[in-house]
Amino acid sequence: MQPSDITALIISLKLAAYSTLILLVLGTPLAWWLSQTRNRLKPVLEALIALPLVLPPTVLGFYLLIGFAPSGPIDSLLDSLGIPSLAFSFQGLVVGSVIYSLPFVVQPLQTAFVGLGKRQLELAATLGAGPLDRFFTIVLPLSKLGYLTAAVLGFAHTLGEFGVVLMIGGNIPGETQVVSIQIYDHVEALDYTSAHTLALGLLLISFLVLLAVYGINRQSRLVTLQ
Amino acid sequence: MIRADFRLERIGLSIQAEFSVPAKGVTAIFGPSGSGKTTLLRVLAGLEPAVGSLTVNDACWLSPNSFLVAHKRRLGYVFQEPSLFTHLSVWGNLQYGWKRGSRPAWSVDDVVEMLSLGDLLKQRPETLSGGEQQRVAIARALLGNPRLLLFDEPLSALDIESRSQLMPFLEKVLQHNDIPAFYVSHSPDEVARLADHLILMEKGRVVDYGALAEMLGNLDSNLALSDEAFSVLEGTIVQSSAPGLTCVKTDGGHRLYVPLHSSEAGSAVRLKVSAKDVSLCLIKPDKTSIINILPSNIKSISKVSNNGSRTLKLDAGGAQLLSRVSDFSCQQLQLRPGLDVFAQIKSAALVF
Repeated sequence: MQPSDITALIISLKLAAYSTLILLVLGTPLAWWLSQTRNRLKPVLEALIALPLVLPPTVLGFYLLIGFAPSGPIDSLLDSLGIPSLAFSFQGLVVGSVIYSLPFVVQPLQTAFVGLGKRQLELAATLGAGPLDRFFTIVLPLSKLGYLTAAVLGFAHTLGEFGVVLMIGGNIPGETQVVSIQIYDHVEALDYTSAHTLALGLLLISFLVLLAVYGINRQSRLVTLQ
Repeated sequence: MIRADFRLERIGLSIQAEFSVPAKGVTAIFGPSGSGKTTLLRVLAGLEPAVGSLTVNDACWLSPNSFLVAHKRRLGYVFQEPSLFTHLSVWGNLQYGWKRGSRPAWSVDDVVEMLSLGDLLKQRPETLSGGEQQRVAIARALLGNPRLLLFDEPLSALDIESRSQLMPFLEKVLQHNDIPAFYVSHSPDEVARLADHLILMEKGRVVDYGALAEMLGNLDSNLALSDEAFSVLEGTIVQSSAPGLTCVKTDGGHRLYVPLHSSEAGSAVRLKVSAKDVSLCLIKPDKTSIINILPSNIKSISKVSNNGSRTLKLDAGGAQLLSRVSDFSCQQLQLRPGLDVFAQIKSAALVF
């Protein structure tokens, strides 16, 4: 494996890890609101969140590119706050990934929250637990599997991202050059050996992550059964 | 006192309640299923938003411009179906209320002992039977040192055997503390055994409320006009002179014999007497298989209900007794208020 391949791999993993963390933090209140609300705007928000599931990533990337463009709306806002431009930067990739992988985190969490039912929360309230207390002592432990699923899907989906990165990343080695694009570059250059190494590496990582998750999943289910 | 005057209107779920009961003892919320009993209890807990007012011992829980959220009301709520936190052990469940409430007058050990939970503490909720889960739920409710205990038909999801096993625990919990309790039920047996006060509900409305005997003897109520009408006699178990029968000395001084019961002499008990098991005689009957015959005086007579019967309220030496007699017999015997009669109690049973 070439040093640039390893750099790309690290950037990919870093991108996936950051995005997943941000997604879990952002996705929790969002999914919670969606699971509880009877607001008429709920379907609108749900449709917006699900958009990345159906849109070609290039469409999302295209709009982000326009948004990030120098003196574009987002750029001028950030500029006034003293934050450097997001276009062709790692931070820009994180923002893009968060939007792109949002449904993969919000939907499992929402399902988990809906599945909780009201009873356990009402019980906790009658026993004196306030809203935050209820969230950390009841919702979180009971939604463990939902969080696991959300984290894995968010991570894996970001790892495999291609279109959005292609549009807004700029393929800068050591900054925005991720594995999926590196493989594409190798193939374009007819360097199949390097492409193979990298592809196999990604395949193995993905498989090991999923294996670990399903292993944990199975064990916790066994514990519950006992 | 606990004073309530509120309404809740929602599709398929509307209740209207106005009552005040002492903040002491057990208030049963009684009525047919679908009459809004559970919803009323949920409003008391702050789990449903209602419009109006609710004060508990002068603390305002609900008023036109304030609403005390459920987690600040300090409650012990026991749901109909066993509901323990599935991710916590029995011990963890007990601790949940204990950690968040103020310190009650009793310790965890006291409650564990009172509800015989010693052997269950390390177990997971799903390994317990329904009755055991309810015992844990009751203990958990007590350990939060609640200002109000709320029971939503805690026995109805259990089989008959677990029910009769759980009942003594419930009784112990309700009678051996000063926490006022509301107890939703549609079972006359449970009401007869536990209630001090009664709130009667029909079709989402509180139709009447007051002390138990007063409510049972209200001959205008639908309960008194039905074949379900019953009265409750309080007494003490005394040494029985009749083999195979348990003797109860009522607070009015009469001795009643009931089917053999395991309670020891000296224990305070309640007898539930169905109105339709009480027949009336103008002269003292002899040569009858009925053992319990009480000289009584007719206090009042209800109107004729749909099935041609009347309910009569009797004063049996200070105790209130209801009798259900056909209108035909009433006319034949010329029964009227003030008349002395003999009430033959065909069967009286210690409740449970």
